[in-house]
Parts: sequence; structure tokens; C-alpha cells
Amino acid sequence: MSKVVVITSGKGGVGKTTTSANIATGIAQQGKKTVAIDFDVGLRNLDLVMGCERRVVYDFVNVIRNEAKLQQALIRDKRVENLYILPASQTRDKDALDPEGVGRVIEELKQMGFEYIICDSPAGIEKGAQMAMYFADEAIVVTNPEVSSVRDSDRVLGLLAAKTSRAELGGPAIRTHLLLTRYSPLMVKRGEMLSVGDVLELLGIPLLGVIPESKAVLQSSNKGAPAILDETTDVAQAYLDVVFRYLGQERQHRFIEEEKRSFLGRLFG
Amino acid sequence: MASLTVLRLRSTDLALIERQLRVKIAQLPHLFLDAPVLVDLGALGDGAAALVFGDLVRALRSCKLVPVAVANVPDGLRGAVTDAGLGVWQPPALGRTRGGGSPDAADAPAAETPAPEAQATETASADVALPTGPSAAVAPPRAPHAGPMVVSKPVRGGQIVYAQNNDLVVLAPVNSGAQVIADGHVHIYAPLRGRAVAGAQGLAGARIFCQKLEAELVAISGAYIMAEEIPAQFHGRAVQIFLEGGECRIAAL
Ligand SMILES: Nc1ncnc2c1ncn2[C@@H]1O[C@H](COP(=O)(O)OP(=O)(O)OP(=O)(O)O)[C@@H](O)[C@H]1O
Ligand SMILES: [Mg+2]
Repeated sequence: MSKVVVITSGKGGVGKTTTSANIATGIAQQGKKTVAIDFDVGLRNLDLVMGCERRVVYDFVNVIRNEAKLQQALIRDKRVENLYILPASQTRDKDALDPEGVGRVIEELKQMGFEYIICDSPAGIEKGAQMAMYFADEAIVVTNPEVSSVRDSDRVLGLLAAKTSRAELGGPAIRTHLLLTRYSPLMVKRGEMLSVGDVLELLGIPLLGVIPESKAVLQSSNKGAPAILDETTDVAQAYLDVVFRYLGQERQHRFIEEEKRSFLGRLFG
Repeated sequence: MASLTVLRLRSTDLALIERQLRVKIAQLPHLFLDAPVLVDLGALGDGAAALVFGDLVRALRSCKLVPVAVANVPDGLRGAVTDAGLGVWQPPALGRTRGGGSPDAADAPAAETPAPEAQATETASADVALPTGPSAAVAPPRAPHAGPMVVSKPVRGGQIVYAQNNDLVVLAPVNSGAQVIADGHVHIYAPLRGRAVAGAQGLAGARIFCQKLEAELVAISGAYIMAEEIPAQFHGRAVQIFLEGGECRIAAL
């Protein structure tokens, strides 16, 4: 059984690509055949964050246009077994992705035995983002603890409920998970950021995890090695928790500090 | 019955038309968002020749309207209209206009008497007749009471829920950027953070009830209150909103 998971947010720069790279890596480390697809046509970020940019020959759009076979475009990760990347194209043509083509590629990935197909969405709520979510079975909604990010996530949740294959065919609703990233308990305490409780109340979907704000993220993407690979950092620990939780294990929520015992203790304790 | 919003142009100045439309749409967004629009040239006379239909279509689309056809098209302009992807609306759909007044319900099945708020905000370059439900003359026999429309999932930013000819009951939050609209009452058993409109077709007795008022806008039959005008004592409270003397009033529940 394959699962198509879209990593989406509405607002830009909240940590979708970081999350896609880390979750795909973490799931593959658990022995599941995983592919991360970069839907951000024109930008190409995922291959950089995953350190395989020099190995890109063909890309997602080439495959859709039948200019290359899927096997030619898939890049096998050098560090983690079972992990593959399907890079985005640098074409300026924003309409390069169409539902038929994307659907065909996803179907082929399923046939190849991929268990997790992670779709890294571009920012926004327009066509590119809708294409990334269209075939999803599940969505991880990446949100920063600030009002504009929460509002955009809310809009995205509305689109997930209406503008996806499942919604159009009347299938079961897409499962949605909230991932709160770039969280700083100190700023929450000072009232400069929304708290986990605030965001949960506004969005009303289950919390998959909280990823702290950390310099380790930038350092790891500069190195082209997802943070989760260096288990000594708090970000790695947070993403590992998320992966295990996502795969069905119970894990206490961490990195919330102040909030932990009071609010989440009540909710999840 | 199908209904169309009729946009009767009285100027060919697209910038002016767009500006005035935006004002109108800001007042009653739920009635215009993505609405199919019939453009009526009847009031322009020979001036219609100055219109560039492609630009008009773009201007209307940028206002989130969907122009579908043009009425009262002079013969010489038929080609320009169809080239812009619009249909040519044939009489007797819309009679020739009478002195710039509202379309007449008798010979205009597409656009009946405009709702009061549309007349009140008539603009210089264009006036807009809102779509309305079936008129008394053609209304189908009333169906047995089907109960209100019930929504049990959150209404998210960007979503619009409209209970036509009905009450609306919402059992989950109406979030910022969302709109819930009913021709009857609106009941929200959760926080209202977006917009709520009751009596959308003019029913003055319609009310809005909500468990936690954090709204961006509440409106009844065309009268409305914006977020910043909501008195502080009602913020976060369970309230009802109703019309009194033509204005929206808020009272604690
Ligand atoms: N937990 C974190 N702590 C600190 N910085 C972070 C964290 N997560 C992401 N960042 C930084 O935020 C920036 C944006 O991250 P990323 O590219 O993952 O976001 P995105 O949502 O994919 O952006 P886009 O919308 O442009 O695709 C990057 O510079 C990244 O290093
Ligand atoms: Mg990205």
C-alpha cells in the first residue's frame, strides 16, 4: 500500500522543504521505500537541501512531457537506503504540471513499490500548490506560530477538503496533521508568538509535532544533509519524534516547554 | 431557476467601472464573488462602440466576477463581443432600458427587482441588479419543510457556505476569511471569526446567533457591522445580532 503525503502550508518559507527532506529521510531510515517529489517548479530547493543537486539530469517535468523515463529522473540517495528524490524542473513554465501527467507519475511510483510518496508543495494556494495536493491521501500542514501563517494554513485546509481528487470523487476525507515549525517557547512566553494551544484552537486538527527554531536547520541545508541525520540536535530529535509518531508510535510532545505540562498535558496526557 | 447578476454599464471608462465595482463588492462580497454576470449595454447607446470587450472581461475577472454574456448588443459589436468569449444575450431576456432604471421584473426573468441594498448603492458608471430567487409569479410550489442547512465541519478561510431560501446551522468554527450566508437565520454553535450574513435576500427579521463573537463582519439584510465597530463588551461573547431601525444591533445571549 502506498501513501501519498503532501507537505503544504499556504504561506511561503515556513519550512515545507525542510520538513519534506527530514520526514522522507526519517521514514526511509525505518526501511520504507520512500520518494520525495519537488513540486516547486522553477525553484528547485529539495535537491539542494538533500545534497543531490549535482546529480540532477532529468526532472519531474521531463518525465511528465515524456522526455525521460521515471527511472532516469529518480535520484537515489547516497546516505540512506530506500530513499529517492524526484527533482523539480527549473523551467519557467508554471503550467508544466498538469493533473494527467502528475497522476500518471504518481501511479507509476506506486507500481514501483514506493510506500511513501512525499510531495513538497510550493507556497501559495494557486495552481502549483493545488497540483501538489491533488492526489494526496494525507496532508502535513506546516505552520509557523504566527497569525498570517495560521490563516494560510486554514485556507489550505479548506482546499484539501474541496479541491483534491478525493474530494472531487467523494472519497474519504484527506487525513490532516498539523506540524508547528520554527517554534520558540521563549517568544511564546513573551507574547511574540502564538502558542501551540492557540494554533490548535484556531485550526482544529491533530498535532503531529513541534519543531523548534534552530540554527541547525540552516547549517544542515548548507551541508546538503537533512538535520535528522545528526541525532545530537534538538531539530533532529523533533523530526525523529514526528516520524515515529507518523508511523504510529506513541511519543510525548517535546520542545514546547512551558506549555507542555499545562495545555498539552491535558490534551494528550 | 437560474439567476444572473446584471451589470448595466453607464460609462465605458473601465477604471471607473472597476473602482466602483470594488466598492460595491466590498460591501456585499458574498453576493458577487465568482458570480456569473450579464453585461447590459442598453444604457450606453452608441457609446458602446468605445468598449474594448477583452479589457472589460479582464477588469470584471479581476473583481472576481465571471462575465458570461452581453445584452443589448448593437449589431456592429456582435463580433467584438463573441471574440472576447462572451455570449450575445437575445431579447426578450432584457428589454431596452427605461431611463436607466432597474430592469423590469415582468420582461426580465434573469434579473428581477434588485434587492434594496443594490438600489441604495447605485453608482455612477454602472448599476448592478442582484440575482434574486424565483419571483412570486414563477415560484415553484413550496416544498415541505426540509429543515435548515446544517454544516458540521469547520468553515475555513476562503470557503463560502450559502443556505439559499433557508436557515443555516453551523456546528464548527467559521474561521477568519470564511463566509456563512443564509436567506434566513444563521446559527453558529462555535466561534465566528469570519463573516456571517443573515437575510441575504432582504428578510429583515433574520438574525445571527453565535456562541463566540470574533467576527470580521456581520450583516443582516444589507446592514452590516465591521469588526472594529463591534463594542468590546461583546468580543468573545455569545450574542445575537438583529435589525433594529434599519441597523444591526448586537445583544448578549
Ligand atoms: N526549525 C527551523 N529553525 C530555523 N530555521 C528554519 C527551520 N525550518 C526552516 N528554517 C529555515 O527557513 C527557511 C525556509 O525553509 P524552507 O525552505 O524549508 O521553507 P519552505 O516552506 O519550503 O519555503 P518555500 O515556501 O519557499 O518553498 C530556510 O532558510 C530554512 O533554513
Ligand atoms: Mg520549499
